[in-house]
Amino acid sequence: MGILQQFADGVSVFGALLLVSLGLAVTFGIMKIINLAHGELIMVGAYTAYAVNTVAKLPFWVAVVAAFAVTALIGAAMERFVLKNLYGRPLETLLATFGISIMLQQIVRLIFGATNKAVIAPISGTLNIGGVVIPYLRLFIIGFSIFMLLLTAFLLFRTKFGMLVRTVSQNRSMSECLGLNTGRIDLFTFAYGAGITGVAGAIVATLRNVNPTMGTEYLIDSFLAVVLGGVGTLAGTVVGSAIIGEATQMLAYFWGEIGARIIIFLIVIIVIRFRPEGIIRLESR
Amino acid sequence: MNKATMHKRMFRLIALLAAAMLVLAACGKSSGSKGEDGIKVGILLSSSGPTAIIEAGMIKTALMAIEEINEKGGVKGKKLIPIQEDYAGDPSMAATKAKKLVMEDKVAAVLGTFTSASRQAVIPIIEQNNSLLVYPNLYEGEEYSEHVIYTGPIPNQGLEKFIPWLVENKGKKFFFVGSDYVFPIVMNKQAKALLGLSGGEGVGEEYVPFGHMEFASLINKIKEAKPDIVFSTIVAESESAFFKQFHDYGITPDDILIASPIPTENDLAAMGPEAGAGHVVIQAYFQSVDTPENKAFLEKFERKYGKEPVNTQMEAAYYSIYLLAAAMEKAQDPTNAKQVIDAFAGLEFQAPSGWIKVDEENHHTHLNYYIGVGNLEGQFDIIDKYGPIAPEPWSKLLYPDHEEPWKK
Repeated sequence: MGILQQFADGVSVFGALLLVSLGLAVTFGIMKIINLAHGELIMVGAYTAYAVNTVAKLPFWVAVVAAFAVTALIGAAMERFVLKNLYGRPLETLLATFGISIMLQQIVRLIFGATNKAVIAPISGTLNIGGVVIPYLRLFIIGFSIFMLLLTAFLLFRTKFGMLVRTVSQNRSMSECLGLNTGRIDLFTFAYGAGITGVAGAIVATLRNVNPTMGTEYLIDSFLAVVLGGVGTLAGTVVGSAIIGEATQMLAYFWGEIGARIIIFLIVIIVIRFRPEGIIRLESR
Repeated sequence: MNKATMHKRMFRLIALLAAAMLVLAACGKSSGSKGEDGIKVGILLSSSGPTAIIEAGMIKTALMAIEEINEKGGVKGKKLIPIQEDYAGDPSMAATKAKKLVMEDKVAAVLGTFTSASRQAVIPIIEQNNSLLVYPNLYEGEEYSEHVIYTGPIPNQGLEKFIPWLVENKGKKFFFVGSDYVFPIVMNKQAKALLGLSGGEGVGEEYVPFGHMEFASLINKIKEAKPDIVFSTIVAESESAFFKQFHDYGITPDDILIASPIPTENDLAAMGPEAGAGHVVIQAYFQSVDTPENKAFLEKFERKYGKEPVNTQMEAAYYSIYLLAAAMEKAQDPTNAKQVIDAFAGLEFQAPSGWIKVDEENHHTHLNYYIGVGNLEGQFDIIDKYGPIAPEPWSKLLYPDHEEPWKK
C-alpha cells in the first residue's frame, strides 16, 4: 500500500518538475543559454500570482495568464539588453544571469517585503482510489503540465515559428544566410521560455509559500531534469523529470529524503559520465 | 573593432564602474552618525537575503524601542544611536559587519544575528574586542559566553512543559520530523528524552534537507506509522510546504496533530489559514497575548509601520533593547561592556509577553510560554500559559551533571 502511494506521489512530483523544467528545456535545451535566473523567473511568476490572486482577488486563471505576461516581458528584456550581446559566451552568460537573479530577488523584496506570502490553491480535496490518496491539486498540476508540454510541442513542431526556432538552434549561421531575423526569433523564443516558467511558478506557489529565495530550490532540480533527460529535446525533459520525480519518491521510501537526494545525484553523475548528452540524444552532424 | 578601440572601451567601462562604486560606497557611509553625543548601539540584522523574512521585522521593533527610550530621555540623559548593518543572512558577512560595528563605530553593544551560524561567526569578534552581544532569538542552547546575553528562548523552556502537556491532552505516539541541521536535531533530541520521561512513545523520526519542498513521501510514511502527534522542527520555507501538503492530503488535526515550537504568525500567513488551523504551537509570545503592555506595543507598531503580523522574534528584539537600556542605566559607564554585562544579572522587565527576568548567573532569560492553536484568522488562540520558566542552557533533565561554565 505504501509503495503504491509512493508511486502515485512520484507521478505528482514528476508533474511539478516537468512544469518547472519546460521553460529551461526551451532556453537551455534549445537555445543553449545557461540561465541562472531560471529560479527567479519561477519566483516572479509566483509573486505575480500572489499579487493578482491573493491581493487583487482575481480568479486563479487570470493570475496564471498574468504570470505568463510578466515573466515573458522580463525574459524579453533580459534577452534584448543582456543575453543578446553574450551569445556564444557561456561564462559571461552565467555571470550575467546570476547577477540578474540576485537583482530580481532584491527587487521583489523591495516591492513585497521580506515575509512569506501565500497563494491559495483553487482546488482542494482528495481522490481516494483503494487507499491511495491523491489530492486533486496534484492531479491538476499533472494535467496542467501535460497541457503545457503539448502546447510547447505543438508550438515547436507544428507551427512556422517553431520551425524557425529549430532552424536557428540547429544552424545559426546558415539561418542568417537564408535571411532569417535570428535576433527576433531569439527574443520571442526566450520570452516564451521565460513565460512558461512564470506560469510554472504561479502553479507551484500553491504547494508551498512564496518568498524571494524560493527559486533556488527549483534551479538545481530543473537543470538536473533537463541534463539527465537530454539537452535539446522536449522528450528528454519529460524523461528526465519522470526519472527524477519518481525515483526521488521511491528512494525516499527506503532511504529517507536525504538518502534519496544523494542517490539521485549519483545516478545523474553516472549517466552523464557515460552518456554526456543525456538519455535522449539529439542527432547532430 | 580593433584591439586599441577595444582596450580603450574596456578602460572607460572599468573607470566608470569604479567611479560608480566609489559614489555608492560614499553614500553608504553616512548611515552611521558622527559627532553626536550619544550611546551607539549596533543593530546587526539582515534586511536582505534569505533570513530577512524574520530579521526585517526585528529591525523595525528594535528601532521602535530605541525611539521610545530616546523620547523618554534616553539612557543617563544620552540618546541611543542605532547603527544598522545588513549582513544578508551570511555568517562571514556577519563577522565583517560585526568588526566594523565594534572596531570602527565603537558601539557600546550589538543586538543581533539570527541563525546559530551567524551568531557563532560573530562571537569571537565580540570576545576579542571586549564588547557585548545581545542575542534575542530562539536557539538550541548548550552555549555560554561571558560577552553574550541571550534574551531569547532555549529548548528546555518550551519543551519541558509542552511535551508532558501534549502527552496528557493529545496523545502518546509521536513521530518526529525536522530540518537536517543542528538546531532541529538538538530540539528533537531533547523532545524525545522528555517524551520518554512523560510516558509517551516515539514511532518514527525523519529529517529533510534544508529548503526541501516535496513532502509527499514523508507524509506517506507518517500515515503508515499512525502517530497521534507529529512533532515538527522543520523550519523556514519547508515548514509551510509541509503544513500545506499535510492539509492537501486531507489529514485533519483530529486525525494527526502537528505540534511544533517553530511556527509564528508570519508562517500562518504564508501557509494559508486552513493549513495551520487546529495545530498546536508553543512560543514565548503570540500576537494574541492579552496584556496591557502587548496592547500598547501593537498599537504603537501599527501606528508606526502599519498592519502586519507581529511575532515572537519581533517582540524579543523590542524587549531586548529595553533590557539593554536598563542594564546601561544600571551600570556606571554605559559604554563599558563588562559593567553592562554584569548589570544584566537579575534585570526584570514587563514585556508584552509578560514579566521576564535575565538570570543572575547563566546569561539567559526567564521567559513565559504560551501554548496556542492556529485559527482561521492567521492568529493563535492561547489555550495554556506557563511562566516564567528558568533557562537551562544544558538541560538538567538531560545533562544533570554537566559543568556550568558560568560558575567559574
